[in-house]
Amino acid sequence: MSTEVATPFEPITADSSTGLLSWVSSVDHKRIGILYLLLAVFFLLVGGMEAVLIRIQLSTPNNTFLSPELFNQLFTMHGTTMVFLVGMPFFTGFSNYLIPLMIGAKDVAFPRLNAMSFWMLPFGAFLLYFSFLTGAAPNAGWFSYAPLSTKPYSLGPGVDYWIVSLIVMGVGSIAGAINIIATVLCLRTPGMSLQRVPLFVWIMLMQAMLIVITIPPLNSALALLCVDRWLEAAFFEPVRGGSALLWQHFFWIFGHPEVYVFALPAFAMVSEVIPVFSRKPIYGYAFVAGSSTVILLLSYSVWAHHMFAVGLGTSANIFFSAMTMLIALPTGVKIFNWTATMWGGSIQLTTSMLFAIAFLIQFVIGGLTGVMFAAVPIDWQMTDTYFVVAHFHYVLIGGVVFAIFAATYYWFPKMTGRMLDERLGKWQFWLWLVGFNGTFMVQHFLGAMGMPRRVYTYGDNPGWALLNGISSASVIFMVAGTLVLVWNIVQSLLHGEVSGNNPWDAFTLEWATTSPPPETNFESLPEIKSRRPVWDQQHPEHADWKFAKTPEDGGHRPDRAQVCAWAFVISEAVFFVLLLVTYIVFNAQASGEGPSAATVLDVPRTGVFSLFLLSSSLTFWISERSLRAGRRRAFLSWLGITILLGITFLCGQGWEYAGLLANDVTIDRNLFASTFFTVTGFHGLHVTAGLVALAIMFTLGRQNQLTKVHSKPFGAIGVYWHFVDVVWILVFSIIYLGAFQS
Amino acid sequence: MISSKLWDWSSPVWLLIALLLIGYLVLVRGPSRAQLAIFLGGLLAIALAFISPVGVLSDGYLFSAHMVQHLVLLLVVPLCILLSLPKEQMTTWCQDARLDRIGRLLDVASIGWICGVGAMWFWHIPTLCSTAAQRPALGLVRDLSLVIAGIAFWWPIYAPCERYRLSPLTGIAYLFSACLGCTLLGIYITFAPLSVCPVFASPVDRIGILNSLYDAGLTPGIDQHLGGLMMWVPPCILYLGAIISLLCRWYSITDPEPQFLTPSAQPSGATR
Repeated sequence: MSTEVATPFEPITADSSTGLLSWVSSVDHKRIGILYLLLAVFFLLVGGMEAVLIRIQLSTPNNTFLSPELFNQLFTMHGTTMVFLVGMPFFTGFSNYLIPLMIGAKDVAFPRLNAMSFWMLPFGAFLLYFSFLTGAAPNAGWFSYAPLSTKPYSLGPGVDYWIVSLIVMGVGSIAGAINIIATVLCLRTPGMSLQRVPLFVWIMLMQAMLIVITIPPLNSALALLCVDRWLEAAFFEPVRGGSALLWQHFFWIFGHPEVYVFALPAFAMVSEVIPVFSRKPIYGYAFVAGSSTVILLLSYSVWAHHMFAVGLGTSANIFFSAMTMLIALPTGVKIFNWTATMWGGSIQLTTSMLFAIAFLIQFVIGGLTGVMFAAVPIDWQMTDTYFVVAHFHYVLIGGVVFAIFAATYYWFPKMTGRMLDERLGKWQFWLWLVGFNGTFMVQHFLGAMGMPRRVYTYGDNPGWALLNGISSASVIFMVAGTLVLVWNIVQSLLHGEVSGNNPWDAFTLEWATTSPPPETNFESLPEIKSRRPVWDQQHPEHADWKFAKTPEDGGHRPDRAQVCAWAFVISEAVFFVLLLVTYIVFNAQASGEGPSAATVLDVPRTGVFSLFLLSSSLTFWISERSLRAGRRRAFLSWLGITILLGITFLCGQGWEYAGLLANDVTIDRNLFASTFFTVTGFHGLHVTAGLVALAIMFTLGRQNQLTKVHSKPFGAIGVYWHFVDVVWILVFSIIYLGAFQS
Repeated sequence: MISSKLWDWSSPVWLLIALLLIGYLVLVRGPSRAQLAIFLGGLLAIALAFISPVGVLSDGYLFSAHMVQHLVLLLVVPLCILLSLPKEQMTTWCQDARLDRIGRLLDVASIGWICGVGAMWFWHIPTLCSTAAQRPALGLVRDLSLVIAGIAFWWPIYAPCERYRLSPLTGIAYLFSACLGCTLLGIYITFAPLSVCPVFASPVDRIGILNSLYDAGLTPGIDQHLGGLMMWVPPCILYLGAIISLLCRWYSITDPEPQFLTPSAQPSGATR
């Protein structure tokens, strides 16, 4: 990671522009964007097939089409696939393709990192689906609730594949998100102040920030689950003193913001589509943008509404209920923004617009059932029934997938140079509208009648067979609609009408270049004086800047290496904070059994070694200053001392570990030992990674390849190194000095 | 009567309130009506924190009341003080070199952030929390430090002189990270298996109301839950309000971006 930071940016030219290899080796943001989209489409079909199998099984009562075991595997894989291999790649794909175009940049901030982010994804997908070959695909649900997912209850390797693939894909997502953040902050064309970027860009920036802080909780939960499963710790095993609820907390601290990771891009897409086809600027730009920022903030404080039924206590339930209702506000008012945009506009009912309008209505339904769940008693009644299934499919399909379709019809001409067929498009729209509502509307009733979710079959209760039959039969419409879309794409690619640069007479910069855009994106850019530069250029007599002033661009762009380092450090900080929370949860009260911090740790000795680590921050700072001043010798020697200090610290840790292990304090001994080794181990790993980065810098410096001009990337590594030290201060005061201990 | 026991009408805090009011009226020239109202609101908040049941219960009975008191002292009172100062007068004051130095020191975002978030964390380390609740002198130090930390915290956002304020976006990052900071503390307190402030786990029943508290359902466990949630949700909502006001400020800048005093200030401040 850190070496990526240090890589200075050079425009990369592919040797050839055609052929398979050119796609595999490409670092062009447009090609990588399309790869993301293709991957998402592929897994949409795979995940869709899994859903079809599930619905076939549920079409009649007491069905034996699927075994219970296979049913569990299918709904687990369906959920995991749709979240990580369809939703995330679709959005990353669109933002990868569109954001540089919309802000007038040549590429993303770190093209190679971008390629890496993408290729992590098929790798993770391979790991996930390889589990089928072992005969035991993961079957604990996409949330893998503990203790079901721990070793005693899931012996097979399925959950292990699930864990590893999620970590791999998570790393890719974080790297991709950091790239988007750096791109938007650092590469905007002159005149494009942050208050003038298209709403798509702003909202996707918020989404990227959300990803950076929301994936780490999942990673820490996965890390703990790994330690549980592979090293026989007991974080999540209540029988051995662990806490099953801890998993739920961690998972939903990730899981709920993840809902907004999905919803925000849908907002972003319709915020571009609706104004263009209403022939008006968006109503209340600042509100739509600002409320997305507010959502980013609030999404972190509502996760426990997934846990109303676990017994958190009345006071906690009330607070989370209130917060959940609060987050409905910024989302709900946006609906009025979009409606007001259409109000009085000259609406063009293109396929894209139809999907956007259906999005509005269906998302409102999904949102309203969501607000119902915010009320604790309703949640107690409805939780784990098909009402929940109906609710989140209205958000995720009725909302998000419909928005993706709207975006597909809207941006396909830009990506391929050809229009999608409108007649086929309308067929697809109506098929999906009927199919989707037919499948999921009746599930509200089934849920209210008490049909439990995640169960492979159901008894022949009055009305259940009919409603389930309707639900399953409606799937046929969605399948047909999808086939129409695939046919439409193939036909349009071959014989579609040529689109030209700006077929929709749209407003934002991506329409100012050819379709598809050239490798470097733009021949020339219009002057940017408002939020709709292309509109201003095409209709100078009605140009926006003549009527409404927007904040001017001050011209300040932060350094991209710094932005990358800070975003990375923030993400890592969240990871460590959750690990430390785990330590505090399990060690705040002395358990009495087995070793504890007070009995086995040699605090003064570790204190001395801590001084080595802390002073390495100082020496690094001096070496950084020397580099900036161009004193090569001083730079190298101080950097060398930094590395030595870091190694000394690691040796100290090794000494400590050896002593503990000799005294039979192993990671599976008790919860103190598990948390101690997990926290210090991950910290040690980060120190090691930092040392590797420093060693690379040292080698480059010795070969005279590191000079004054590289001081900024070098400083970015410094940010990471100082961060590792700050984490150690926390670790030392919490574990060794026993802060927060009663 | 329980309700009468819950009010501490003879508290010396009245004196402080009177002093503050006189000080404000004498020192501050020409506050607008809104500013005066905000200041009076601040005084009311102080009264709430010490004289009302919040103050009485926070003295050894309820952790949640103690938490409300903290929040009022750390967030509400300083905010009211800053907002009640008239801009013109403060701008003249800030031209004084010494005051300007203080102003600029407070303007270092990391200082304010560490003061605001750190104060909360620091005073909830179990031993400190208990000791401060038992020893009036330390309690006074704590209360004072909370108000001062609060002023330092709000300074980069609502300083009375425009030039000390952070740019809106940096301000948002500042408040957002602070929100995460208090969320963490809130989570810790809400879900901690232990008593964060042991004094409140076994209160000394000074005025004989403990049984009625327990009857009302405010047992130590629930009380700590509430305290944790108090620490978490209300401040975040307050920060959110401030963030919304910053967003409004940001989107309404139509003049060229002003040159900020610290263009690169990060919430944690260690960029350079």
